Formats: sequence, C-alpha cells, structure tokens
Amino acid sequence: MEKIINSKILKEHFSKSIDVVIRPIKITQNNITVHIFGVDGLINTELFDRAILQSFKFDKNLNDCRTERAMMDYLLSGGAYHVFTKEETDMDLLLRYVLSGMIGIIFDQEQKAIIYDIRSFEKRSISEPAEEGVLKGAKDSFIEVMRINTALIRRRIRSEYLVVESLNVGKVSKTDMSLVYISNIANMDTVNKIRDKINSIDIDNISTPAFIEEYLIENKKSLFPQIMYTQRPDRVAANLSDGRIALVVDGIPFVYLLPCQLPMLMQSPEDYANHFLIGSSLRVIRYLSMVVTLFLPAFYIAATTYQNQMLPVELALSTQAAKQNVPFSSAAEVLGLLISFEILIEAGLRLPKTVGTAMSILGGLVVGQSAVSAKLVSPAVVVIIAIAGISGFIMPNQDLSSAIRVYRFILSVLAAVGGFFGLAVGLILLIVHLCSLDNYGVAYLSPFVDVDESNHRDTLMRFPIKYFTKRPQKIVPKNRIKQK
Amino acid sequence: MKKIILLLLFIPLVLWGCSHDMNRRELDEISLIQVLGIDYSSEGYTLSGLYKSGGGTDSEAGGDSSSEEVVQGTGKTPYEAYEDLKHKHKKNLSIAHVGYLLIGEEAAKNGLNLCLDFLSRDETVKMELLIYVTRNSDALDFIKNGIEDKKTIQEDLEAISQKQQEFLTRNDNTLVSILNDMKRSHSSILIPYLLSEESGFLIEGYTVFDRLKLKDYLDRETSWGINFIKDIARSFPIYLDNGVGLSLSYSKAKLKSHLENNQIKVTIILDFETLIKEVNTNADIFSKEGLIFLTEEQNKYITKLLEKPVNYSLATGLDILQLARLVENQHHKKWKDFEENWPEYLYDVQYEFDVHSKVSKSFIMGNER
Repeated sequence: MEKIINSKILKEHFSKSIDVVIRPIKITQNNITVHIFGVDGLINTELFDRAILQSFKFDKNLNDCRTERAMMDYLLSGGAYHVFTKEETDMDLLLRYVLSGMIGIIFDQEQKAIIYDIRSFEKRSISEPAEEGVLKGAKDSFIEVMRINTALIRRRIRSEYLVVESLNVGKVSKTDMSLVYISNIANMDTVNKIRDKINSIDIDNISTPAFIEEYLIENKKSLFPQIMYTQRPDRVAANLSDGRIALVVDGIPFVYLLPCQLPMLMQSPEDYANHFLIGSSLRVIRYLSMVVTLFLPAFYIAATTYQNQMLPVELALSTQAAKQNVPFSSAAEVLGLLISFEILIEAGLRLPKTVGTAMSILGGLVVGQSAVSAKLVSPAVVVIIAIAGISGFIMPNQDLSSAIRVYRFILSVLAAVGGFFGLAVGLILLIVHLCSLDNYGVAYLSPFVDVDESNHRDTLMRFPIKYFTKRPQKIVPKNRIKQK
Repeated sequence: MKKIILLLLFIPLVLWGCSHDMNRRELDEISLIQVLGIDYSSEGYTLSGLYKSGGGTDSEAGGDSSSEEVVQGTGKTPYEAYEDLKHKHKKNLSIAHVGYLLIGEEAAKNGLNLCLDFLSRDETVKMELLIYVTRNSDALDFIKNGIEDKKTIQEDLEAISQKQQEFLTRNDNTLVSILNDMKRSHSSILIPYLLSEESGFLIEGYTVFDRLKLKDYLDRETSWGINFIKDIARSFPIYLDNGVGLSLSYSKAKLKSHLENNQIKVTIILDFETLIKEVNTNADIFSKEGLIFLTEEQNKYITKLLEKPVNYSLATGLDILQLARLVENQHHKKWKDFEENWPEYLYDVQYEFDVHSKVSKSFIMGNER
C-alpha cells in the first residue's frame, strides 16, 4: 500500500473489510469532499455525530472555508471540538490510530488527516482482583484497557514525576504499551534498558502475556518467574515508589513490574494491611509452605526408600503399616500421585466452575479414597501429596507456584534415585541456580543476599512501616530515602 | 538448553549408578527392630530382636493388627550373632530404629565392650538408644516372658525412660554416653538395671561395671546418691521422721577436689530446694524455728543418701563417682601421678559434705497452715 494519505488508496486496501468505514462527506457550499475513516464498533457513533459530523453539516464557518487547508486549520482550532484532536501526515500512524478505535477525517488534496479520539468499545468494568483479593484493602483491579489501567495508577500517585511513556509492539497487532515509572526515583539505566528491549521486539502479534514476559526476562532458561505481575493498582503504586518500573499492556488485565526478586513474589498485600506481627507470621508460614511443598514428597521418598532411620520410630512404623500390601514403590506412588494431582488441577481449570467443583470432589475424595482402599497407594502418600499440594497454593504468585511444582518433580526424581544424597544435590543445584540469577542488575535473591541491613526489613519478616526508611539499594542507587 | 537437559539426565543416571551402594530398601520390605537383646553363654552370643509384624493398620477395624515378634541369632561374637539373625529372618532387618538395648547379665559379665562394639560401628544405629542390664535374667528371657505375659515391651520400656526423665534431668544410659564413658578406663560405668515384675518392668538402681565387666548391682538409695552427686536429680521424695513429706524442686551439685601429699580430698557441695508435700504432725513446722528444723532434717536425710555411694566407693575401690575425671580436669598436671595406680587411691579419698537447702511452703487449699 502506498504511504500517502488518500481515501482511494484506503478504500482499495480495505475493500474486503466490512467493518472499516471510509465514507465521503460533501460540504455543498465550497464543493469540498472529505472522507471519514474509522472502524465500526470501535468508535462512539453518537459522539461522532454530535461533536464532529454536525460541525461539517451545520457550521457556517466551516462551509465558508474555500480550501482543505483552511478547513483543517478551522477544525484544529476548535471547529469540531474534542479533547484529542491531531493532524496526521504519516500513513502508518494514521492507520495505527484508526485501527485502535479513533476516527480520521481525510483530506485527499492535502494528503493529510485529522484524528479524533472517540474510542468507545465494549470493556469490562473494574472489579475485585480475582487472584489477589484481600479482606482489608482496596478492591479495584486492572482491566483489559490500558488507558484505564494507567489512570488507576495515576490516581494513586499524583506526583508530577510519574511518567507514562507510550510504546507500541507487534508488527501486525500493534499493541499499545505504557512504560510507567517515577522519574526522580527509578533507575534511568534500567528504564532505558527495558525500553530498548521492548523496542527491539520484532514479533508480529502479542496475543498472550507470555509473549512479553519472555522478551523481558533476562534468564530465559530459568523456571523461576523473573517478572512480576499484579492485578492490584495499589501494589503497582507501592512498587513504583520503591523504584521499580511498571509495564502496562493493552489487552492484558494486569501490570508487569520489573526488576523482580524472589522475596517480592512471596509478599501479599495482606501483609501490610495487618499488624506487622500478623503480617510477619503469615509471611513466615508462606516460606515454610514453600519448603514443605518443595521438599516434602522428595523427603518422603528418601526417608522411606533409603534413610528410614531419619524417621522417628513411631512414624516409621505407622508409615510401614500404611504401606503394607501396596504394590508400588514409594517413588512410584509419590510421582504417580503428583502427576494425578497436576491432572486434576489442569482438568479443574478447563472445566466450567460448577463441574470443576464436582470434579475436585470426585478426584480428591472419591478417587483418592478408592485408591487407598484398593491398596494402590498408601494413605501416608495421599496425606503427603495433599499437604504438599495445599502448601503450594499458599504461594501468592502463581508463576512461582508453578515453578515450585515443576522443581518438586525434579527433586522427587533425584530423591528416588539417590535418597537424601540426591535431594542434597537437587538443593545445591537450586541454590546455585537462584544465586546465579540476575534481574536488570539486581540479584534474584536480593535483599536476602544484600549486605545493607536496611534492605532486610521487608523480607522474611515485615517490620513496622516506620522502619522502612530506605528504598532497596540495588534498585534505586540514588534518592533512597523514603522517610526520615 | 541442551546443557540443562543433559544435566537433568546425567545427574539421575549418576545417582542411579550410586544407589546400589546406598542401601535402597522400601520401608515395607524391612523389619524394624525396636528392642535388641544380647546374651552370652558358653556357646557364644545370642542376639534377639523384637519387631512388629503382621500387616499393619486395619483401617476397617480402625485398629492396629500388628503383633510383637522376636527373632534370634547366635554366633561366637555379637556381630556373628547379628549376621545369623539377619540370615534367619525372611525379611531384611534394620537396627536403625532400635530404641532399647537389653544386655543380659552373663553378657554384661563377659564384657560391655564386646556387646557394644558392633553397634558403635553401624552408621544407622541411633546414638540415643537406651541401654539397660537385665538383672538375674537373660535379655531373651526378659523379652520372651514379656511377650508371653502379653506385655508390650516396647511401650513398657518407653514408659520407663519417660519415668527416668521425670526424676532425672538427663538419661546417662544412652549409647553415646556409655561409649564416651568407656573411653575413660579409670572410672566405673553405670548402667541402670531392669527387674521384671508382675506389673511390668522396674528400674531399681545402677549396675556397676569394673573394667567393662559387670561387678555389682547398687541398691535404690545408693543409686539416688549417685544421681545427686552427678547433678542429674530432678525430682525426689524426702520422708522425714516427724511425718513431713517433701519433694525436691531444685538441686545443684558441685564436686571440688584438693590434693595434699598424694591424698585426695573431695568436697561434695549440694544446694537444693524442696516443697512441703505432706504434713502429718501437729507441731508448728511453718514457724521460723520449724522451718529451720525441717531444713536441718532434710540436710541430714540427703547427706545420708550421699554417704551411701561414697562409702561404697571407699569399700570397693570402684570409681562410681567419676572422680578420675574430676581430678584430671581440676589437677591436670598432677593427674599423671595418680593415673597408674588410681584404684589404690580411691580407698583413701577423704570426703566432705557441704549440704545447704531451703524449704518452700506449698500452697494449700482451705487450710490456714
């Protein structure tokens, strides 16, 4: 397609698209014909009729304009009033605006267009965050519309330093994105690095969140999430004021936060809504649950297959009694049930909610109980997998939960072939891997690995808010003081 | 990515290869011996192991359908007997869960080191397993009689060890403690002995070992005197002649040694506190004078108790109070002079007692006293 703004070229190009409207409007007095260029369904037709089309038909001043240029000047100086009005000479930009829901008035002789933002498409209203609900705290969450999401952030940070940069990714989808940061707090090197990475994305379509995530994470081979997402505007605001950078993508009902560290993924908004001791206790329970869900199945395999002396005698005897007449080895039982557990989760996700509940009962209780009665698995293994599974759901971040679930398999296999020796190998590999991860210049295990004591006040324990005096050193090299 | 996949494949393969040396056995394929008995006769050693068998929990009946069984093996040495035991039993045996080791009287007389050597070299054995000597009985008979009388030996022994913890601050008859004591050849080793009664098993006192061989059994009072001197007494009843019963609530013992011209002087310092538990007298014991009287009386009572092991040590020349360690620690340079003929010096040790105590009133409901 030729890169000249012309209605004929556009008509020819969109001749097979019925939703794209290219319609002439003849202004009788001066004999000038302009063309409306828009997408039906994305524009607010009522607003268009009232604010723009009426001007073209009944505005005497407009009818007095003898040239297209004069008409354009009149329109741009308030002839047809709207908040967003822009003259466009670039065909690509015109297409981008119109295909995102704006309307263009094309002036063929001038080879220019005037853009009006009268977007109006069906959108979901702001609702409670489904995955990050809290009892005490804000109940709003992001939706699929980028501009509303940036507004939700701006509502919470009224600083003049809050920057919302516009970016565009996807050769075909041309997805809008906003890079949000507080310019006098955020590390501009990191901002530039993220912006460069986004600009270098050469994909045709951003259809799922994973497309963006994979381009932004630094260590693509790692199972562990290196980018954090949240549905909560208050969480984004808190992280922005900590010096992190947010990425709002149109069409995705959550916002990404970078740089991301492991302790961040273990935090929940509830921690800060409660008394600091309650918040700290909840966080300690979360970390304990992570250890339980990660190691319990592997520990069971190692203890029942290799080093049974690790078990207290009563537990060893009860486990032994429970395992009588079960034809499979402990490793096969655990791995089999872990796989069954994953199947149940996957099946539950795909099914409608009402059927999903019935499925859970059927899978968890009926099949579990029947398997024990049929002596296919021992009751102890069912308990172990249930504890590990429930502990896994305590993770506030689903990506982290999934990573742990996968690593739980690896540890179980290592324990099956090497007992506690294998488990130790797996643990060492995990620690080495986590220590080696670096996220935009910040260690993944930061602030656990930081020397500065002030960084440790919001890690395993949540100190009272008055102790949060400094921002994380590695994320914010300058302007670290939060409060005195 | 290839490296990660290779690593993930390589590690399990290596571990799989190593697992042959890792004693891989499913828990249900092993019989877990919980109580081990060692006996000795002219034919050699007999090792008897008590384990639970019989298909485990009956979920429908809601109970435990397992039963206690004994397996035995014989051999010239305890290790040979253990191998015989393993050979005879249909399942694999594990001594990793042995909580109690019963040493028969004859085996104890033949030498403690012979009984414990193979256990101390097994990497799976629990260091905190408790050792008892079965007085006037073989360990096997002790276990068998227990099973015939439908006693649950394991549970009875557990009750005994819990009772020990009620009266003592620590159990000194663990495998690791005994092995440590065995390294000090100058002192006698003390292991509690068990008596089989109709109602169950009882611990009466300590067995005294001389040069790792059973020498004597101490009575209850002498054994308690040792507990006080070893500073492991937690609770102890005191019955005074005037009808007042007291209970020990705190005790702190310290031994000091002085050397004068190859003469060893030992001062036993004991501070303790008691609570009044029973008053069967009309005398005003809660007055200042009454409490002073009670204090003096309980001091005498405990001093008498302390004199028992002291007198036993003086009479037999056995170092049941672990004085060798005391002198070695407090007079390290001069210890070498005593080391060679240590038992001879024990007959001439001079003991002094420095006993202090305090009586606390106990709360009493509905009574002014």
